[in-house]
Amino acid sequence: MPVLSIMGLTAKYGKYTSIKEVNIEVIKGEIVVLLGANGAGKSTTFKTISGLLKPAAGEIIFNDEQIGGKQPDKIVELGIVQCAEDRKLFPQMSVQQNLMMGAYVHRRNKGQIKQSLKEVNELFPILYDKREDAAGSLSGGQQQMLAIGRALMAKPKLMLLDEPSIGLAPLIVEQMFKSIEHINREGTTILLAEQNANAALSIADKGYVYENGKIVVHGSSAELFSNEEVRKAYIGA
Amino acid sequence: MELLLQQLFNGLTIGSVYSLVALGLTLVYGILHIPNFAHGALYMVGGYITLMMMTNAGLHYVLAIVVSIIVVGLLSVLMERLVFHPLRDSPPIQDKVAAIGILLFLEALAQLLWGADYRQMPTPFGEVVNVFGLTLTLQRIIIVAAAIAVMIFLYWFLKKTFIGSTIIAMAQNREGAALVGINTNKVAILTFFIAGALAAIGASLTSPINLVFPGMGHLVILKAFVIIIIGGMGSIPGAILGGYILGFTESIGATYISSDYKDIIAFVLLIIILSAKPQGIFSKGGA
Repeated sequence: MPVLSIMGLTAKYGKYTSIKEVNIEVIKGEIVVLLGANGAGKSTTFKTISGLLKPAAGEIIFNDEQIGGKQPDKIVELGIVQCAEDRKLFPQMSVQQNLMMGAYVHRRNKGQIKQSLKEVNELFPILYDKREDAAGSLSGGQQQMLAIGRALMAKPKLMLLDEPSIGLAPLIVEQMFKSIEHINREGTTILLAEQNANAALSIADKGYVYENGKIVVHGSSAELFSNEEVRKAYIGA
Repeated sequence: MELLLQQLFNGLTIGSVYSLVALGLTLVYGILHIPNFAHGALYMVGGYITLMMMTNAGLHYVLAIVVSIIVVGLLSVLMERLVFHPLRDSPPIQDKVAAIGILLFLEALAQLLWGADYRQMPTPFGEVVNVFGLTLTLQRIIIVAAAIAVMIFLYWFLKKTFIGSTIIAMAQNREGAALVGINTNKVAILTFFIAGALAAIGASLTSPINLVFPGMGHLVILKAFVIIIIGGMGSIPGAILGGYILGFTESIGATYISSDYKDIIAFVLLIIILSAKPQGIFSKGGA
């Protein structure tokens, strides 16, 4: 059963059409990857799902509910949490405060917050070691972990991960993808936008390839791996 | 020595009021990312509402302040809803022009409603007390005590409660706040209410030792700008510390240099501090 169905989604920045008639389906428990160059429309798709941008046309159905055009806070309450490409942390707040803000929608459930905090600290022990440090003082990789940790604090049903590997050293990228797989195994469905197609397809169930705001190819990870065009453009082999 | 102590206490009194006004300005800066020029008008309306509640409605000073806090808080929210919210995606210059427009409008309105006269606000706390050999009016002690109590409460609210933290979160990253599920509209409303309330408290506390008139917000708001620039735009400790720095400098300067130059001191201080630390004392690293 699909948790998320996007049908004919079009979104615009002013007059400029950024994505056009995008169709995506995410089944519960999957890792689905969106591939494509910078500016192809992956982040716009995420922004529209998260409610930061209103759709110009089309539907976004999450668990049988039409969510297109809802306010971002309502969408988080429904269980979709985005971990944005530029991380959007609270730079002068401590690591721990950032994580606590992530649990904002569960603010009345102290027990659950404690439990989530424990889980995040187990997944990313460095966040516990640096809990008193300002988020802005962390390294790029640590900031990415904090962004993912903060998103996890909201206990999402569906997590949107926008280029978690961007700007990170190869070793950290590997760890990052391992953590994503772990989060998925624990029960969170994941929609991942990536330029690192090789690593992304190796953990994903299926993928969609963007070009100039449209999806040009889609299929299972194995299909995309063997697709000549995709290999040439994104895997480079 | 006694003169110095007396002047230090004066500095504490003025500084407390400056800090309250600057705190509201700095909180709203976190939402608008421009200094809200209309904040001075809120201060002025705060003074008038308290005065009118006392003289026309016969309320006790403290009760009048409570009414003033609510009225000015709501006026501030109205300002956000009717003017700044619709302008949220416009270039910042439009917010600035709009803020100046609100300031002029409210001042003209105050003049129309209450006249241009300078008015005195009575206080039930007029008696003179002796503390450590200093002769002080009770009102001044109340200004300091009330302002510090309000600031401690505000600090607790912003740092220790989820709702208060949303204000800080939104100031640091608006989209980040939306993505953790914070309703940014509600936070903006809350922030404007608090800023209005702080302006009303500041004006109501200080009016019995100053005067109430339509232009009473001018100098205060200019100085509040100086304070948040000195303290670092958007910084809460910066607004508090900056308020007291200015209060002390003014009262000491007025005594030992000349009281004619009292109001110039703020701006001289601004030049000196910005020459040494262009981003302000509590500047936020790099950004």
